[in-house]
Amino acid sequence: MTVASRRPKPARPARQAPTDFTLPVSRAAIDAVTPIDGDPDWLRTDRQAAFDAFEALPAESNLLYTTYFDFRNVQLAGARVTTSVASAPAAIEVPSETDGLIVIDEGDLVGAALSAEAMAGGVTLTTIAGLSRQDPDRVRGLIDGGTTLPMDDRFAQLTRALWAQGIVLDIPAGVRLLRPIVIRWTAGAVDRALLSRTFISLGDGASATVLEELIDSGLSKPDGGQSLLAGTLEIQVGRDASLALTSLQELPSTTVAIQHRNAVIGEGATLHWALAQLGSRLVRSRVDNRLEGDRSSVEQVEIVFGGDDQLFDLTSYTHHVGRDTTGNLLSKGALLDRAKSFMKGMIVIERSAVGTDSFLGEFGMNLSKATRSVAIPSLEIDQPDCRRAMHASSVGPIDEAQLFYLESRGIAPDEARKFIVLGFLEPVVARVPVAEAQDRLREMLEARWDAGIGAAGGAAA
Amino acid sequence: MTATSEIITDQREQFAFHDDIAYLAETKRGLTRATVEEISGFKNEPDWMLQYRLRAFEHFQKRPMPTWTDGLDKINFDKIVYYRKPSEREEKSWDDVPEQIKATFEKLGIPEAERKFLAGVGAQYDSEVVYHSVKEELSKLGVVFMGTDQALVEYPDLFRKHFGTVVPAEDNKFSALNAAVWSGGSFVYVPKGVEVPLPLQAYFRINGENTGQFERTLIVVDEGAKVHYIEGCTAPIYATESLHVAVVEVVALPGSKVRYTTIQNWSNDVYNLVTKRAHAYENSTVEWIDANTGSRKTVKFPAIYLRGEGATADIISVAVAGKGQHQDTGAKAIHLAPNTRSRIVSKSVSKDGGRATYRGHLKVSPGATNVVASVRCDALMMDDISRSDTYPYIDIQEDDTSMTHEATVGKVSADQVFYLMSRGLTENEATNLIVQGFLEVFTKELPMEYAIEFNRLVKLEMEGSLG
Repeated sequence: MTVASRRPKPARPARQAPTDFTLPVSRAAIDAVTPIDGDPDWLRTDRQAAFDAFEALPAESNLLYTTYFDFRNVQLAGARVTTSVASAPAAIEVPSETDGLIVIDEGDLVGAALSAEAMAGGVTLTTIAGLSRQDPDRVRGLIDGGTTLPMDDRFAQLTRALWAQGIVLDIPAGVRLLRPIVIRWTAGAVDRALLSRTFISLGDGASATVLEELIDSGLSKPDGGQSLLAGTLEIQVGRDASLALTSLQELPSTTVAIQHRNAVIGEGATLHWALAQLGSRLVRSRVDNRLEGDRSSVEQVEIVFGGDDQLFDLTSYTHHVGRDTTGNLLSKGALLDRAKSFMKGMIVIERSAVGTDSFLGEFGMNLSKATRSVAIPSLEIDQPDCRRAMHASSVGPIDEAQLFYLESRGIAPDEARKFIVLGFLEPVVARVPVAEAQDRLREMLEARWDAGIGAAGGAAA
Repeated sequence: MTATSEIITDQREQFAFHDDIAYLAETKRGLTRATVEEISGFKNEPDWMLQYRLRAFEHFQKRPMPTWTDGLDKINFDKIVYYRKPSEREEKSWDDVPEQIKATFEKLGIPEAERKFLAGVGAQYDSEVVYHSVKEELSKLGVVFMGTDQALVEYPDLFRKHFGTVVPAEDNKFSALNAAVWSGGSFVYVPKGVEVPLPLQAYFRINGENTGQFERTLIVVDEGAKVHYIEGCTAPIYATESLHVAVVEVVALPGSKVRYTTIQNWSNDVYNLVTKRAHAYENSTVEWIDANTGSRKTVKFPAIYLRGEGATADIISVAVAGKGQHQDTGAKAIHLAPNTRSRIVSKSVSKDGGRATYRGHLKVSPGATNVVASVRCDALMMDDISRSDTYPYIDIQEDDTSMTHEATVGKVSADQVFYLMSRGLTENEATNLIVQGFLEVFTKELPMEYAIEFNRLVKLEMEGSLG
């Protein structure tokens, strides 16, 4: 529609709408993608349905959030969608402190391995293509219909239409793994777009720890074209099962990361997320936690440490359905330079969810003048009979009193600032369930601060 | 649950009244360009105002209906009468007000309130101010308090300088509608350094089925001046839609202090869509004290733009949503200057299937350094067929902002009810007391007689809620 303006405006080039998605995709691209051998009809139909949905959906279908959508930094016009991946894995060894490892390098499977204990328990850790050769019905059961991805999300549907690589991790009922299983993705190659799906299922009473690493493949170029890594985690946590999932995202600064994490949590089950977002040019992440089983619980901690022109667009939906469910979400963000974060968190308590305890906290620290923190913590409540339903958020600068105190103890100002910022993030780091991932995250945060990013903040103060 | 609710009768009837008034002039149902011209013609307005109205009308037609809140598509703009004029001229004294209209106001208790306590009364009967009095001493101070239409005639320069500067016609679909067909409302001007010692009060009500009420209030408080403005609304109960689309503009010039208190109790068929906004300049203070009960749907977010260094914003917003009602209310504080402060406190109650939504916006723009802001929203749900939503938007673009936000949702605690019942209160009385306590942060800011009225309204809303 046209709106007549009273003042004539100077001619200017058509501004790219923030909703534009520049990745060149077409219906023909779907036919080119062959995620599993033989590309069965049901899969092609599923992917076509997804593409229809992608084309029909708005960039942000939740009207609450439409003003906070900004893809202007996404420049994927030159990117090519990966249509097929290599599947000639080498034999790899399981690192001693883990129960399993799978490595995908720029879409290609490098290898997958399980510990003796995991193998004895019947754990599956393989690519979707690999599993389809042994158990095609299982693969179809996971994928057909797309019920494990949000139907109203344009980018989730794009991933469902164009995924070329995928992983399945199955932990059978009753199997309790003591060490983490590592899922490692590398990305960043100039002009490469990879879309992928990951399925994790825990049977009744199972227990596992998963560490997802999203890292630089070494093929990115600071002034080269952007790359896209779109990925999912489609999770089923069975009755009384327990899953701890840590994700460390440190992709190169030319990468656009799109993430959909969708978990259905069964009766008495627990899911513990620890999500660290450090890298990428732009991250658009959406987490859907569905607490379907009675007494199910989710704990989610999230950390953002951004600089330069990074944008972190993070949404979480916590959906309380069963009785006496618990949700406890905590996000902390520290921003430098011109970094921006949009933290959108929604707690939904359905009428059936009597006895809910739900908390959402979003806390930010803007460390430079040009940063921007947006927090939209929302509640939609149909059942007041709850233990707790609340959210809290705050944004504040470095506390001068803390700085003064540290300086009075002889700590240099820059060092003191670093301590305060890392100390602000530490409560989240401390809740990362894998000790070794905790240490690594601390090192990453410190390295990021030291790599000039902190100096820039110090200069601005 | 208990028998107590059965012995309580709904007292709503005594607040619902409808007098048959002979209107002197009114427009046909529906809205066209001709309607707008007709309204302007009735009022003998200067040409600039007619042009302004027509521009706004065009914008209203072009602007799509907002979709971020639901139910607005049910408004039938063709069924509304956009202008009604009940008497020929502004009445200068209470004795001159027609008996029939006076009888209606008697039920609201205005004359007494005026005599005993209040500085001035501007009573809006449908679309025209029919009664207006400002105490002599205020006139001597140079305070202007009159109908907005009258101000356009008597203070054309002052009026034109500020009209539409805070809420432009193009701000949203409903501000455009108001700008096109506005009629009535209050105009207040407080000169430099003048402190108005008593609250200025305007009483609004809607009478006449399907009468749209489109009042326009403009308050200009000059440097160092101080004023408290109060408006309250009651309306007859009708089955078909009524529409209330108001615009309130407040200009708080440097060093001034403005408090604007509203209690609204619209009948359950009214769509109440209000744009309220204040511009706060250097070292000024603006306070919105805003309560919403009744109406089918209220959409209202009192906003304060902190434009001058050192300005302060304080918003207390209360909403009670009963059966079939949706209170989509909240607050906005937009920090545009350094060293500004804002505080938002919101309390909502939903019951009998009502829905209370808090929607807020807190923004700290680049350049607005050293901002301190806080937002607190609490919601109370009386039963599990009601609904409560909280949608706060917090957008911080400065590194030295100090912002805190907290929101909770809960129900009346059974322990508290039990305790009070053990002290001899009925379940209803106990619940009432708890709800009144929950809303006290608001009530305590009101002048006494308003606090009494508000508590009575809450009691009315709560009646039998546990039954």
